[in-house]
Amino acid sequence: MIKNYFKIAFRYLLKNKLYSFLNILGLALDIAAFVIIILNVSYERSYDKFDGSEQVFRIYMDYKEGGNFVPGDAQTYNLTGPTLKKEFPEIIEQVRLYRLEKVTFVNGEKVIQQPNGSLADESYFRIFDNPLISGNLKDFEKPNTLILTSTLAEKLFGKDQAVGKNLSIFDGSSTPMEVVGVIKDIPQNTHFKTNYLISYSTINTWNRMGSNGKPNWNRNNFFTYVKVASNTDIASLQKKITGSDFEKNPHERHNIEAISDIHLHSNKPYEAEANGSNSRVSFLSAIAFIILILSWLNYVNLATAKSLERSKEVGIRKVAGAQRSQLVFQSLGESLLLNLFALLLAIGLVYLMLPLFNRFVGKELFLGLSNLTIILPFLGFILLGTLLSGLYPAMVISGFMPIRALKGKVIASRSGINIRKGLIGLQFFATAVLIIGTLVVSQQIQFLRAQPLGVNLDQIVALNGEILEKQDDSLMGEKASVLESELLQLPFVDGVTQAKTYPGDGYDNLSSTVGITFPDGIERERQLFYLYGAKSNYFDVMNLNFIAGKGYAPVLAGIRNFDIVLNETFARIMGFTDPSEIIGKTVKFWGESFRVSGVIADYHHFGLKNKIEPLIIGNLYWAYGGSMDNVLVKMKAIGLSSIDKNLVQIKQKWKDVFPQSTFNYTFLDKKFEAQYLEDTKFGVAFQLFTGLAIFIAGLGLFGLTSYTILQRKKEIGIRRVSGASVLQIFTLLNKDFLKLVGFSFILAVPIAWYVMEKWLQEFAYQTKLSWWIFILAGTAAFAVAVISVSFQAIKAAIANPVKSLRTE
Amino acid sequence: MIKITNLEKYYKTEEVQTIALNKLSFEVKEGEFAAIMGPSGCGKSTLLNILGMLDDPDGGSYLFNGIEVAGYNERKRAQLRKHNIGFVFQSFNLIDELSVFENVELPLIYTGVKPAERKERVHAVLEKMQIMHRRKHFPQQLSGGQQQRVAVARAVVNNPKIILADEPTGNLDSSNGNEVMDLLTELNEAGTTIIMVTHSEHDAKFSHRIIRMLDGQKVTENVLV
Repeated sequence: MIKNYFKIAFRYLLKNKLYSFLNILGLALDIAAFVIIILNVSYERSYDKFDGSEQVFRIYMDYKEGGNFVPGDAQTYNLTGPTLKKEFPEIIEQVRLYRLEKVTFVNGEKVIQQPNGSLADESYFRIFDNPLISGNLKDFEKPNTLILTSTLAEKLFGKDQAVGKNLSIFDGSSTPMEVVGVIKDIPQNTHFKTNYLISYSTINTWNRMGSNGKPNWNRNNFFTYVKVASNTDIASLQKKITGSDFEKNPHERHNIEAISDIHLHSNKPYEAEANGSNSRVSFLSAIAFIILILSWLNYVNLATAKSLERSKEVGIRKVAGAQRSQLVFQSLGESLLLNLFALLLAIGLVYLMLPLFNRFVGKELFLGLSNLTIILPFLGFILLGTLLSGLYPAMVISGFMPIRALKGKVIASRSGINIRKGLIGLQFFATAVLIIGTLVVSQQIQFLRAQPLGVNLDQIVALNGEILEKQDDSLMGEKASVLESELLQLPFVDGVTQAKTYPGDGYDNLSSTVGITFPDGIERERQLFYLYGAKSNYFDVMNLNFIAGKGYAPVLAGIRNFDIVLNETFARIMGFTDPSEIIGKTVKFWGESFRVSGVIADYHHFGLKNKIEPLIIGNLYWAYGGSMDNVLVKMKAIGLSSIDKNLVQIKQKWKDVFPQSTFNYTFLDKKFEAQYLEDTKFGVAFQLFTGLAIFIAGLGLFGLTSYTILQRKKEIGIRRVSGASVLQIFTLLNKDFLKLVGFSFILAVPIAWYVMEKWLQEFAYQTKLSWWIFILAGTAAFAVAVISVSFQAIKAAIANPVKSLRTE
Repeated sequence: MIKITNLEKYYKTEEVQTIALNKLSFEVKEGEFAAIMGPSGCGKSTLLNILGMLDDPDGGSYLFNGIEVAGYNERKRAQLRKHNIGFVFQSFNLIDELSVFENVELPLIYTGVKPAERKERVHAVLEKMQIMHRRKHFPQQLSGGQQQRVAVARAVVNNPKIILADEPTGNLDSSNGNEVMDLLTELNEAGTTIIMVTHSEHDAKFSHRIIRMLDGQKVTENVLV
């Protein structure tokens, strides 16, 4: 019997190729989209979950803002960890990590720049689950020792055993290091990517560390992670920590957060990396489920519509002795078969699309035996949905009266039609919400892109590299000036300057300082501001706009210059609504007095997700030891084709001046744009999935139309014979559906409004939800409806009425 | 075998009630071949559907082998139907997606016959109907006469006690029609009870008795043999 069911199901699928194709492809695309989204979502949720991770927490700083504490800094003091461990018995381990954005390793001829490393206490290995695969942990207590991941070890030493080897780290001068251990590569799903660890005691022997090693409550440059005892009441520990004040500063406090919450829930200044977004992940999961449910609703509609054509078969089976339950099972078997095909095709599609998707989101998602457990519960969900979506058509089809069924006179009940209309309405409701969502997301991204940044980043390339020869500061400054004038001689170069950092560079090279004395002579101990150094012509090259005063004069290397430029926001914070009044006034920080020489119009140093912060730019050569880090080259507006050639020439100049060095370049506009990468990707994903939802909704309407037209064949025939025009019939058939779509749309608008309003609140600068978005979404929904209905309505309207009447 | 007494059937729309069967009574004995005739709309097909337990009456009594079935629900009727009754329709009613063999096999599947036995019995009946060579073909590949022979084969494969035929020759030319009538006669001679609805006086002559109907009532009964 089962064989018979499958046989007929197979032949039926083959006979109705278009129907089968649409149905299977629709389902397969939806399941594939669902699986990919779920893989992505579970990857995002898998961050920092390792053996024992539920006992690991990060300590961070809250700052007081308008009477309330808000998360202020992901980094803490070097005294934080040891003090908390000593004071709170629940804390059984602590590790301090001083993060190194980039280090240049030199092993003989081999020079390798590596990102993502840290100075770390050896307690690191008692907190994180990254055990040594070779070497001895005891040696890691000594200064100038190093632990590498196996990939980096192989890069530096080839297949040789790395442990026991010596190399040096170069950053203006050479610091010797001994490799004392190798760990396995650390999985990518951690917020604290790590390629190497340097022993914490190196903090006192390495020039670059300055006075960071001195125990203090002033410089919060350290990530602190703690491990708590297994039965700790976290809420009460948090209370104790936030209530403590070891640093004797009422304007800030320490706080605690679970390590596994960091990736999706933390977005503080000075994070180890830009984290993910819980709202994005939730949005995507919601879309995944909506798509899957839509596709089932669709299946219900198509299958029910199609079942009418099979009423004769049902009649014959009933006459031949089939019982209702047998027919239900047959129908369920068919939907199972169809869904099985769809599932197989979906798996194929997932394998096909995953590499593309991975490249798009920059992840390494995969579907295999090892992560089957992620998908398994959802597979159960998929099966359940299949069963449920098969059940309705099965009940409908098996309920036909045999005699009527044989004569093809099955009339759908009113309630049946209403159920299917309801399903279509639901589909269009969801589609309308998604269309509105897509439009809002892309409008917001457009809006961010179109915002004036207040700075012109076009055609500017930032050059930097590690200079591998021992230099003293004044010589370095001299050489950089040589490079500047050499670069200026290139015909395509418009201007050259040097700066510590630049807009879009994030927090990496930006200093933040708390405490400044305003021109009124009163010290604001808790005033947070950002500052960076730049040469005097920086403002020209970057096209920064002075609203009062001017920049500072160029100074000779080695002479301290205390002229600074403020941004408009900071001038306003200092109480100067007219910025010209602050020119020439004095502010004090770092124990020095600075003279305000100019105020620039606000520009966006961070992306537009953040609001504009108070900022100081100065000629801080003396603070940086001669090196500004970035040489910024502004090129003349030129065709894209010559950029590569220009870069070759620029690199040559660099190599002429710094023969022993590495060389990197970054286009400023691209880097700035990269801040919106996640949102842009989100927008594209949103568009893709909305497209899919529209496709499904169209398919559903297509199915329902074919069903209704079959029902109304006789009516159409009689109307035509009685003189109705093709257009009148066409309108008649469209009217009902359009009413339905209109109604769903009206319901969708307030919901979409609410949800998107919430999403927009993530941004400091938001686009307005304009009325045209809703008009456009409505038009799109109607267009989809008209197209899906018309395909068959036209066919029915122009069909020869005699035929439809004869079959009666 | 079949005894109906004061059988009634109404069709109701919102305002009008149409009487399809009006206190109809007659009896068909085992081994009999009865023809039911009458103009369109006289209630022939309604009667046949009730006799075939595809539809239920609104009043009166229907004894099938001495059992009252008038109040049976669909489940019980299906149970009784599949073991006792075979149907032949004017429009053949074969499933297009199934081959000749599979169409004939269908009733055996629903009565739970084992595959090996099914094959044997289907082959035997196809031999008898002389369409064995067409067993792998699909309905659309057959002529009307062949399709009706398949339909007859399907009706008899379960060895029903009674065959209900609704204008079995209505869609056939005269030579194919005669072949089908010969088949039914043969089956009757082998012991199967047959009740046939027909418009054709020619076909009716193959039966033992003609029941003539008008407006849901029996008007005459002519015994032919």
